[in-house]
Amino acid sequence: MNDLKAQIIEQLNLQEVTPENIGNDQPLFSKEGLGLDSIDALELIVLLQQHYNIRITNPDDGPKIFHSVRSMAEYISANQTIQA
Amino acid sequence: MNIYINGTGCVSPQLTAQGGPLLGTLKEYEQVRLAVVDPDYKQWIDLKQIRRMSRIVKMGVAAANLSLESAGLSTPDAIITGTAYGCLDDTGVFLTKMVNQQEEMLTPTAFIQSTHNTVAGQIALLLQCHGYNNTFVHRGFSFENALVDAILILGEGSAENILVGGMDEITNHSHQILSRFGIYKKAPVKTMDLLNSPEPGTIAGEGAAFLTLSNTKGPGCTTMLTGVSTLYKPLWEGEVIGHIVKFLESNNCTPEDIDLLVTGRNGDIDQDEMYEEVAAALFPDHPEACFKHLCGEYPTATAFGTWMANALIAEQTVPEAAMFYGNPPEKINKILLYNHHQGTHHSFILLSHVE
Repeated sequence: MNDLKAQIIEQLNLQEVTPENIGNDQPLFSKEGLGLDSIDALELIVLLQQHYNIRITNPDDGPKIFHSVRSMAEYISANQTIQA
Repeated sequence: MNIYINGTGCVSPQLTAQGGPLLGTLKEYEQVRLAVVDPDYKQWIDLKQIRRMSRIVKMGVAAANLSLESAGLSTPDAIITGTAYGCLDDTGVFLTKMVNQQEEMLTPTAFIQSTHNTVAGQIALLLQCHGYNNTFVHRGFSFENALVDAILILGEGSAENILVGGMDEITNHSHQILSRFGIYKKAPVKTMDLLNSPEPGTIAGEGAAFLTLSNTKGPGCTTMLTGVSTLYKPLWEGEVIGHIVKFLESNNCTPEDIDLLVTGRNGDIDQDEMYEEVAAALFPDHPEACFKHLCGEYPTATAFGTWMANALIAEQTVPEAAMFYGNPPEKINKILLYNHHQGTHHSFILLSHVE
């Protein structure tokens, strides 16, 4: 999950944030969490495509997939297994 | 109608963002490309927003904030900018990804930030300014046409305080391309020796400068924007000289009324010939100051020149580093700023002192 955190930091250019600052279950899009916005959501979709070759086919799944780093990691693991 | 410059702000290769007397600490360089001295942008921009901003957006936001702060305002009624190249850095990022990734998986940030009006838009978003917002992309007239637009709006009475600025940035790509045109010197030159350089070519520059204009005089105001005029592709120097005489006449003055001539000399022996001709014909005994050895050459460098001319009037003195010819005048009531960009875009800005 640390690799994924580093990729998120790089993709979103999160200045002064390190992988250690992001909790596994910390909400990505709420003010209590990282406070990301809709542009960041698009960047995360591109991250999944670029790094893991995963395309999100149902936009309604977005809030669940991008809730936290853990939910993203679980989605990546599940979908990479299916692809393999 | 009087138009007052109630506030100014500037981010440039000089230490202009930190306040204090004009050129109090002179930055001297020996290179062909000058970059701005970045202030701490976090004092104006939240960390979450700053991460998406390229250098030109940060420069513009900083200069706009400095201008509003010095005018004692929190929000203007209108925002007008001029830029020739726009947000080049993000345009480069977006186009490079488009090529490298074969038009797939393009990220939105660089695209959103790559338009010419991004700076004006970001300033408006940060200030929550819902008023008139416009950007002029007219090469060497971009800043001048932004000024003309502001004058027209103030004349209409549809806005009371207008933030007007000019900005451009250099990127590695743009510098490489412009260097191929032979615009820049082939070897580094000391900036304080630039204006006496015997060779063609100049040095590249960048920066952002903003003015807060109003037809009501603010508490710290010392300068009026008396007039702006442009002349495109004059056939010979006589046309420029005639244009200046008419411009001054239309503003009820003559060359004798000008206390200080500020020119856009850039150290290119071919380009500077026009300034020699004009000075010899109309201002033979006038003191002359220059600014492009301080900020470099770029299409909206007159924004820096106007910022500097305003400071000269406010301080009623000319720092040695800015003087080119003669002695600083005892009193600076009127300044004529004459600039041309690559011999095609000639502009004239008249500033007057107000008590």
